Amino acid sequence: MDDQRSRAESFLKNRKGIEKMAEIRQIAIYGKGGIGKSTTTQNLTAGLVELGKKVMVVGCDPKADSTRLLLGGLAQKTVLDTIRDEGEDIELDKIMREGFGGTRCVESGGPEPGVGCAGRGIITSINMLENLGAYTDDLDYVFYDVLGDVVCGGFAMPIREGKAKEIYIVASGEMMALYAANNIAKGIQRYARTGGVRLGGIICNSRNVDRELDLLRAFAKELGTQLLYFVPRDNIVQRAEINKKTVIEYKPDSSQAQEYRNLAQAVIDNTKFDIPTPMTQERLEEILMEFGLMADDYNI
Amino acid sequence: MGRIVQEAKYTCALGAQQTVLGIERAVPVIHAGPGCSSRQFAYMGPGSGYQGEGYTGGGQIPCTNSSQNEVVFGGEKKLGQLIDAALQVMDADLYVVLAGCTAGIVGDDVKQTARNHAAEGKPVIGVDTAGFRGNNYVGHELVIEALIDQYVGDREPEVRKGLVNVFSVIPYQNPRWRGDLHEIKRLLTGLGLEVNVLFGYESGGVSEWQDIPNAELNIVLSPWVGLDAAKLCEKKYQTPYIHEPVLPIGLKATSAFLRRVAAALHMDEAAVEDFIAQEEARYKKYFVSLGDLFSDFASYLPYDAYIVSDAEYGVGAADFLTKELGMNVVSFYEFDEPDASAKQLVEQALSAAGEGLAQTLVVEGDNALIRADIAEKIAERKNKSLILGSSWDKELAEQTNSILVYYGIPITDQVVLSKTYIGYAGALTLIEDIYTGLFRKGMITNTTHGEDDAI
Repeated sequence: MDDQRSRAESFLKNRKGIEKMAEIRQIAIYGKGGIGKSTTTQNLTAGLVELGKKVMVVGCDPKADSTRLLLGGLAQKTVLDTIRDEGEDIELDKIMREGFGGTRCVESGGPEPGVGCAGRGIITSINMLENLGAYTDDLDYVFYDVLGDVVCGGFAMPIREGKAKEIYIVASGEMMALYAANNIAKGIQRYARTGGVRLGGIICNSRNVDRELDLLRAFAKELGTQLLYFVPRDNIVQRAEINKKTVIEYKPDSSQAQEYRNLAQAVIDNTKFDIPTPMTQERLEEILMEFGLMADDYNI
Repeated sequence: MGRIVQEAKYTCALGAQQTVLGIERAVPVIHAGPGCSSRQFAYMGPGSGYQGEGYTGGGQIPCTNSSQNEVVFGGEKKLGQLIDAALQVMDADLYVVLAGCTAGIVGDDVKQTARNHAAEGKPVIGVDTAGFRGNNYVGHELVIEALIDQYVGDREPEVRKGLVNVFSVIPYQNPRWRGDLHEIKRLLTGLGLEVNVLFGYESGGVSEWQDIPNAELNIVLSPWVGLDAAKLCEKKYQTPYIHEPVLPIGLKATSAFLRRVAAALHMDEAAVEDFIAQEEARYKKYFVSLGDLFSDFASYLPYDAYIVSDAEYGVGAADFLTKELGMNVVSFYEFDEPDASAKQLVEQALSAAGEGLAQTLVVEGDNALIRADIAEKIAERKNKSLILGSSWDKELAEQTNSILVYYGIPITDQVVLSKTYIGYAGALTLIEDIYTGLFRKGMITNTTHGEDDAI
């Protein structure tokens, strides 16, 4: 009987933990491969920790480079590498490192290219984080930095089962970035119908193309969402990356550092969460035409 | 849209492990999760007339028992270790690696892994039999094609006159496969041929497979299973084939089959006819002796027949029951669920076997639906009926006072060893079993009944 009672108490305690967990803002960042999701997420995180927020970043990409700038290099052993080497009976500190400003950094990792199932790997990693109690009450934000396009069910894990309820898509004024964003919105729409997941907006990681701001605004509007923030292009981002730092750490006084602080504030203040309305291929192309992206003399 | 299947009459492609076990001294090496292999064995071993484990079946089948690690990181490493271990502890002539669903989804390359681990003099081949690729009929085809491709390989044929290969019944899924192959071999040998039956006790194990390219003719004895293998042999070894979609049961079908084989090989007609005449004479004597029973129990004889079978045995049964026992086939429920082109082959075979037989075809893999349909038809038609069914149809037979003969899988309350229902000899056994059913409990009044319900 005592055993049963202790099990019941433990269940209730865990349940309380889960209820408390719902107060953490869990955010998934999606976007076309190479668009700058990891860079944007880490700089945004740096902005949040400067404001005293507690943040965990979970890299959901087999390349395991989502926390490099926060950790000052690829210093992290991934969850899956740890499981592979040491089995599933591990401590949280084996897979979580502390980065810039006390950020908690986790890399899901994945199999070697060409073998196994990276999607299942992400599911395994996130389950492992939950089991090890990584989602503590003091966290304000959890970010899931998810690779490229959603390629299978595993990569939708962060937005399934009520984990991340908030999604931002990183895009730019380039055609393929918008194609990808529209596709991702289709995935979000599917999960939004049955769960609480919502699109918080588009974050533009500018590539300095013509009429980019207008295009992104029109695109966001058509998608039934907002352009949350327009991050201008600045080479300081690349220099900070070479130095394995976020811009906020590398040049705190730069104007780009301020842009990321503004982005952080925009995320904090955001209350607009929508079920996206992805458009048809034809409509997307119409918008691209309208803003000159598909004109004959257009050069990327 | 998918639907719930209550009583499946087949398993998935991984069921091809039983195909491998049908080859003497061949070992299946399974790359799948725990349970897949043992379920296949349970269904087609004990569930198919208690056929036993055989050389390395049942609980002795090596399996990776893949788990999460093999899904996330790929399972080729673990499979490689398993192959090495199997080669060390299991004495066999051939090792066939079969991949299950998870290995198929994550893309493990079983063919290459098999190649990498083949030791000297120990052939190891790999086949992707992921369950979702189809049922165990498809799995059987995948394995025999892989054996020809990877094990027999590219070879300059040294054609031996009078040598034939037979692509026919499916080991274990067909409960009487051993006895049937014995009868097929007996018949063709009787014509003066040398026969590779490829599976079972009458085969020479792997040596028959190695001998495949040297055949003068391939015989596909089935509506669709084995046809692709024969086409592959034609392409690789230029071996012609004949397609015999009706598994011969009884005098008419068997004699016609033997004559077609003989014609295809330009055999000496007199010798062939001599053998056929001997077989027919014996058959006829037994058949005629049935006449007294027919006249004594005329009002109890079944008139309608319901056939629950795969295509291979079902077409043969429809042909035999119609032509030799004068029954009326009401429905032939084909449970192997062929694809559209294979279904067309089955329909053609039925049309050739008898007028109106193609219209009796119902393709259905769920025995619960089949049973309900038979019950409805018997109630409507009110005729004495014969059901060629399985252990799942006992209650139906009792409720409708029908004769039940166990024809297909599952057979869980009868032991099947060397029994056959094909050829001349098998047809006589089938006749015995059908009409013995007259004397089962409740069938005939004023009769001392046995307690058994089915043959």
